[in-house]
Amino acid sequence: MLLPPLAALLAVGAVVAYFPTVEPATQAYDQALVDIGLALGNHVRVTPTEYRFDLPPAVEQVLRTDRFDHIYYRVMSPSGLEIAGDVELPAPPGDAVAHNTVFNGEKVRVVSVQSPCGRSACTVLVGETMVKRDRLARDVLLQGLFPEILIALATLVIVWFGVKRGLQPLERLSDEIKARASGDLRPIDAAGAPEEARPLVGAMNGLLEEVSAASRRQQRFLADAAHQLRTPLAGLQAHTELALAEPMPDACRAQLEQVHQATIRTARLANQLLALARAEPGARSSASPIDLRSVAEAEADAWVRQALARDVDLGFELEAAPVDGDALLLREALSNLVHNALEYSNRGARVTVRTGRRNGHAFLEVEDDGPGIAPQERVRVLERFYRVPGTPGTGSGLGLAIVQQIALSHAAGVFILDGAAGGCRVGITFPHG
Amino acid sequence: MRLLIVEDDAPLASGLRRILEAEGHAVDVTARGEEAVLAATHEKFDLVILDIGLPQMDGFEVLRRLRSGGADRGGPTPVLVLTARDAVEDRVRGLDLGADDYMVKPFAMPELTARVRALLRRSQAHGGPRIAHGPLTLDTVARRAFLRSEPLELAAREWAVLEVLLARVEKIVSKEAIIQAVAGWGEELSPNAIEVYVSRLRSKLEPAGIKIRTVRGFGYMLEEYK
Repeated sequence: MLLPPLAALLAVGAVVAYFPTVEPATQAYDQALVDIGLALGNHVRVTPTEYRFDLPPAVEQVLRTDRFDHIYYRVMSPSGLEIAGDVELPAPPGDAVAHNTVFNGEKVRVVSVQSPCGRSACTVLVGETMVKRDRLARDVLLQGLFPEILIALATLVIVWFGVKRGLQPLERLSDEIKARASGDLRPIDAAGAPEEARPLVGAMNGLLEEVSAASRRQQRFLADAAHQLRTPLAGLQAHTELALAEPMPDACRAQLEQVHQATIRTARLANQLLALARAEPGARSSASPIDLRSVAEAEADAWVRQALARDVDLGFELEAAPVDGDALLLREALSNLVHNALEYSNRGARVTVRTGRRNGHAFLEVEDDGPGIAPQERVRVLERFYRVPGTPGTGSGLGLAIVQQIALSHAAGVFILDGAAGGCRVGITFPHG
Repeated sequence: MRLLIVEDDAPLASGLRRILEAEGHAVDVTARGEEAVLAATHEKFDLVILDIGLPQMDGFEVLRRLRSGGADRGGPTPVLVLTARDAVEDRVRGLDLGADDYMVKPFAMPELTARVRALLRRSQAHGGPRIAHGPLTLDTVARRAFLRSEPLELAAREWAVLEVLLARVEKIVSKEAIIQAVAGWGEELSPNAIEVYVSRLRSKLEPAGIKIRTVRGFGYMLEEYK
């Protein structure tokens, strides 16, 4: 992310360092060529008939000698006649005194010098290949760039460490939020957060507070809805049961019996919908250390009475099974499992409620010797309102969905296995405890 | 027996009244908590059936005043709490304040009448020396039992087990609880021994229609006499 701007900065730096260094060097090299031109101009002899250029070979040797570059020259009379030298050497265009051009296939720098010839001035062009100058430019660029690259790299490292270090508290914060249980709406502890992140933590806490307030409102609404729904249902149930105790025609009784059954189903459905809503993420309010064994024992009376009414042998194998959970929800889950087992068992069936620990995991389960659940149906029965086709009875298809929802809200898992004597064994395994 | 129903839902209140009257009780009904407190202060009821979700003074407050005020002349009046809110807090608060039992609405009427009978029996048993269960009568002072007016021979341990079960009709009594109630200081009683006593009790009581259920892996339950 930081690389493109840094590269641009480097380029600008190189250019800025280049011109102030290369410009004076170019002028110095040009001046040397001018000096050569003036020296050459001194060798022009003006006679009445001609311009003569007398350059002793030794002098030419000296003038032309350079460690790196070839020197070319061209001498022209004031009227433009060629006097001596390399006649092809290109003159600077117009009034320019120096230019870069190409000669004999090489880049050359050519300067033009006016040298006195009698009353007028001859033009001396001096050209030089550009090996020195190119090397200088390269050296300047490299020498300028090298420290800049070093500085840039150092900057990158410092910035990387700085940003990482600066973001560490934010990462801790995000780890803390990720590690939260679903439905944990307590405010985030702002004390550990860095100064810069405090407003963010504050804003998130505000949001969490709003969400948990909404959740509390929903809870209250549920409680109110439960009350509103259950009281009239209780009245309805009371009166149908009273009416059924009266003498009446058989047809009438059969119909009233239907009303009574529907009332009981409606009451159960209302209870189940409330349980389902209570087990929603965010609604779980009261997790505390509890023993599944005591959850089962607390409700055993009611289950045994139901079992007696159906002539089912309901038994218990209860061992200690400590978990962190919501007692009300766990009792609801276990009640649903027992209810299912009783509902789908025949007279004389055996149903067993178990709690305990298996492989270090606390569990609760209910085993029956009823018709069982086919393996291919075992995932679908956990869906809301799904009933295995052909199932007798009047269930809503919510029982196991509630068990599943409650298990999820405890980070626990539902299992459905074959029973030891036919039927099935359905329960919840808890992650730890 | 004299019963007070405190319930603001008129259809439910009238249904409860008719059912309990059919059981042979004298029943008063009020929809308001203030009236309930007032009535219980001036008159003696054998049982109060109290709805928690009352307008104005709610059931918790009524219960608190019944228990703290001078309303309980001649021993505490048993209170059966009715609630539509099954949140744990509601239940715990209800029982902490001295409710004797609770039921979550809606409920089946046989369940209600069974609970009412159990509460009345318990409160009678506190004072009275006689415990009755269908054709069975226990005279706890004379320590003599009668079945259909015929004397019934019971060994001391059988008597103790029966007494525990009679105190909790329709409730499961765990074997451990029976052992605790029956065994003397420093005495070791095995669950097997309890099974023996229960089986002897069964052979004596079942011909008269009194049933002791075995709840597998848990304990025993004396069934409501029908």
